[in-house]
Amino acid sequence: MTATENPAAQQADQTYRPSTLQRFLPFVVAAVVPFILGATTDDLNFWWKAAITIAILALVARLAWKWTPRGELTHREDMRLWRTPSDRSWAALTMFGLLVLPFILASDFTPPMDFPWATWFAVVNLVLIFAMGAAAFNLLVGYSGQISLAHVAFLALGSIVGGIVGVQWSGGNMWLALPAAALAGAVVGAISGLPALRLKHLYLLLATFGFHFVMMLVWREYLQEYFGFVGIRFKGVNSPRIASWLHWLPGIDPDENGEFIITGQFRWYWVLMPITVLSILFMVNVIRTREGRAFAAVRDRDVSASLLGINVARSKLMAFALSSAVVAMSGVLASFYIGSRGEDSFNVQTVLNYAIIIVVGGFSSIQGAIFGSAFFWFLPEWFKWAREELWFVRDIEFLSDYPSEIDLAIKGFLVVIILMFKPDGLAGMWRDFKNWLSRSLARRNP
Amino acid sequence: MSGGGLDLRIQDLTVVYGGVTALDNVNITVPSGGFVSVLGANGAGKTTLVRSITSLLYLHKGRVRRGSIVLGGESILGKKSPDIVSAGVAQVPEGRKLFPNLTVKENLLCGAASRSDVSGIDESLEQTLELFSQLRPLLSQTAGLLSGGEQQMVAVGRALMSQPTLLICDELSLGLAPKIVHRLFELLTEINETRGTSILVIEQNASLALQHANDAYVLELGRVLMEGSATELKGNPMVQELYLGGGGEAHTSYAAIERPSRSRPLEHGQRPPVTES
Amino acid sequence: MLLAFGNFTADPSVNLQLLIGGLALGAIYAVVALGFVLVYKSTDVLNLAHGEFLMLGAYFALTFLISENLNFFLGVFVLLLVMLVFGLVVHYGIMRRMVGQGFFAIVLITLGIATIIRALLLIFYGPTERARLDLLPQGSFEVGGATVRHVDLVIFGVVALCVLLFFLFFKYTRLGLHMRAVADDIEAAAAMGIDPDKVYAMTWAAAMVMAGVGGLLFGHVTGAIDRSIEAIGLRAFPAAVVGGLTSLGGSIVGGLVVGVIEQFANGHLGTKWREPVAFSVMFVVLLVRPTGLWGRKDLERV
Ligand SMILES: Nc1ncnc2c1ncn2[C@@H]1O[C@H](COP(=O)(O)OP(=O)(O)O)[C@@H](O)[C@H]1O
Ligand SMILES: [Mg+2]
Repeated sequence: MTATENPAAQQADQTYRPSTLQRFLPFVVAAVVPFILGATTDDLNFWWKAAITIAILALVARLAWKWTPRGELTHREDMRLWRTPSDRSWAALTMFGLLVLPFILASDFTPPMDFPWATWFAVVNLVLIFAMGAAAFNLLVGYSGQISLAHVAFLALGSIVGGIVGVQWSGGNMWLALPAAALAGAVVGAISGLPALRLKHLYLLLATFGFHFVMMLVWREYLQEYFGFVGIRFKGVNSPRIASWLHWLPGIDPDENGEFIITGQFRWYWVLMPITVLSILFMVNVIRTREGRAFAAVRDRDVSASLLGINVARSKLMAFALSSAVVAMSGVLASFYIGSRGEDSFNVQTVLNYAIIIVVGGFSSIQGAIFGSAFFWFLPEWFKWAREELWFVRDIEFLSDYPSEIDLAIKGFLVVIILMFKPDGLAGMWRDFKNWLSRSLARRNP
Repeated sequence: MSGGGLDLRIQDLTVVYGGVTALDNVNITVPSGGFVSVLGANGAGKTTLVRSITSLLYLHKGRVRRGSIVLGGESILGKKSPDIVSAGVAQVPEGRKLFPNLTVKENLLCGAASRSDVSGIDESLEQTLELFSQLRPLLSQTAGLLSGGEQQMVAVGRALMSQPTLLICDELSLGLAPKIVHRLFELLTEINETRGTSILVIEQNASLALQHANDAYVLELGRVLMEGSATELKGNPMVQELYLGGGGEAHTSYAAIERPSRSRPLEHGQRPPVTES
Repeated sequence: MLLAFGNFTADPSVNLQLLIGGLALGAIYAVVALGFVLVYKSTDVLNLAHGEFLMLGAYFALTFLISENLNFFLGVFVLLLVMLVFGLVVHYGIMRRMVGQGFFAIVLITLGIATIIRALLLIFYGPTERARLDLLPQGSFEVGGATVRHVDLVIFGVVALCVLLFFLFFKYTRLGLHMRAVADDIEAAAAMGIDPDKVYAMTWAAAMVMAGVGGLLFGHVTGAIDRSIEAIGLRAFPAAVVGGLTSLGGSIVGGLVVGVIEQFANGHLGTKWREPVAFSVMFVVLLVRPTGLWGRKDLERV
């Protein structure tokens, strides 16, 4: 009797259901507190702010960990995006970090050894834009296994749509250009994916590369027809702005002329961050659905996938369309953020850059793109700083003579080394670290 | 020709592919000049055994985790495949694996890749063509265009071109007409008896293998389930049940395993149905 | 239509000149395509670094033949020897570990190698452009109102010779046979006692040597030697694909066909049409006949 009861009792012990409030509270805190901190801590020293931030981070993560359903999960709980305690903690932490980051970066602060605080903000924004495009690229080549080198073509497509819809038609309406680019990207993407129905591997790669060159021609012709040599200016009168009927929103105070122009790193961050996060979450979500699992099945073996009742053609085209739509959107964002796009904005080196990003990030997971693009943009900054400030690096003349070349060499070596020894890239290392951490945490307080 | 065969001793062999254990503590011995057969269903680990002996696991991201493989008193584990061929191990790979774009003659010559004695190679070519006289008119044909039986002859001939002391045949009978398979097996017996070459045949077709082999092992899910002399195993009721189709008409049974009829798509994670007969 | 078309001209001497220019360009494409074909045929690797290999060859030619001022034949010998060693380094240092990895990972690693070569060349040679090489005969003669340069004829001859040598090598030597065997089925080849590792090393060495030859030749006809000449690697893709990627002779035919098409597009439609037209031709060939005009028709195994 007791022997049969005991396991059941243990089961009951392990099963834990937080209330709905508890489940959401850490996320609410993570969402609200950064703004309160940002608005109220102006007169505090930077270090105080940092200490408070870290304390709250720890608390939020701890609560998210504690208030996670455990034990026998229902199907619905099992299908959640953040399922395990560590998933939920990291999600809450990331959310908090993303929201508090702009306030930290905008604060007036000189780090030790003149670390370039100010340029960081620009880098963070670039990371966001590139992460979005690279994640979409990863969805296609990493997750769906459809090899393509046409992603830069879709960045160009984004610029074209941005030019037509956002500049020529509406004089700076990025909000219209974004959905238009998504639509155009999806349609053109599906068309560019047509060769995938017939070709594989090498041949697919070459076909998509051919598509790249065709798109480059379209881009150059478009520029010449309407803009000439200077290229498209997405700045000045063409800067995106927040429509006047939205000016009541908190945090939006229009300028003297009654407009709210999206300019400066801080404002851009609040545009780029949500779009990037949402689109990446969207893609991560897609691959958890039936449609997304079909992508992976087709990647692993498309003939067998068709035996399983998957419509292979549809799956491949969906992957192309989805990826291209997001890449085109990131192309629009990049155009407006960087402010101008000309003949030389897209070239083979750009294709290589995205390849570097997804390799370094790890091209078996979508999140890898985030690590990859952060790395891609921070490395030169860090290297520049090291060259100028670190005494033991500063004296090596060789390094300061060839800064960008050495940058390039480092990137090349990293791609080679990562592919040889750590094919899962930074995302793989991060996963290992998280697993290690949650294992050791779980051992200490089960 | 070559002297007597070398003996092969495999001890405690454990092989993994990533996290999947394909062979688990396998012990198999092929005595010098012996004719040994390893039986097992699809996925039992038979091909993995061949890959381990001939050091081809690395091409499949497989790894020997434990154990030893000793040929004629010398460990061959960890050696590179060319050295193993030089040591006297030749194989007829699963599915024949001819070089489809090469001619029959070129295929045969590739079998002698480990040798450098030009006149000796010519001599072996002549001997091989005597053994398979059918191939003589086909010498300049592209191998990929031959019939299945002819291809299998080329594959066996190619393996013999290295003058092996141990010949390994992986599923020789796969996809061939019974008559041809019988002939090939008789040839193997002849080679075994006249040249003293040790022979290891890997088979799903148990009745045929047990008919020609001296000793046999039954492999299941990576483990040696049974071992003994061929006559012993033939009389074993379990072997009869599982591998001899109750009466010895093994052909029908493995054909059925090879191509299971699927009336509906498999659910995710479901194993393909194994036909019992 | 927002794309402007150039004028078509019917003047025969113009067209003849375009044809000759196209064949000359095609010969260069053929050299590059031959490098792709060698590697792809034996190792199944699409070497996106081949343009950089070629650039390496051109810069080394500069060093050995101009700066060091070696005797022409000695200089070429040293150049090819150095390239051969680099090929072995690429194989034993990097590609060897990638055997059995996914196709795209291998393509990406060649991109990594390309990046490294580009960066190192920039560091060691600097960004300034150098005058093109002038060691081959520089004159020209007239045929039917069109100019034919001697150097183009030399290039032509060298390419034909290389293809012939490789053909004989593959057909009649043991190593050539083993290389073809590995290309057909690496596992079966290994099972027969052929060392795929050695074969691959030889392949990379051969491809590098071809890149050395290509760099030497291309260094004579390019505008100037600078970092932009790696682009020849990409521009030769259509040629390699049209030729079939697995056929030595195909690389010549593909090179010439694409060279001529490009030159005509260039002359009649405008420079900007050169690449799109070439890549469109490639695109169509891929869709209609993925194995190119001469490639081998391997069945996709399931
Ligand atoms: N390349 C591989 N990667 C992962 N698992 C493999 C690989 N090859 C074989 N296996 C697994 O090893 C087991 C034995 O396979 P194999 O040796 O081919 O069996 P058999 O030849 O008896 O049919 C099977 O479960 C199979 O799934
Ligand atoms: Mg098998």
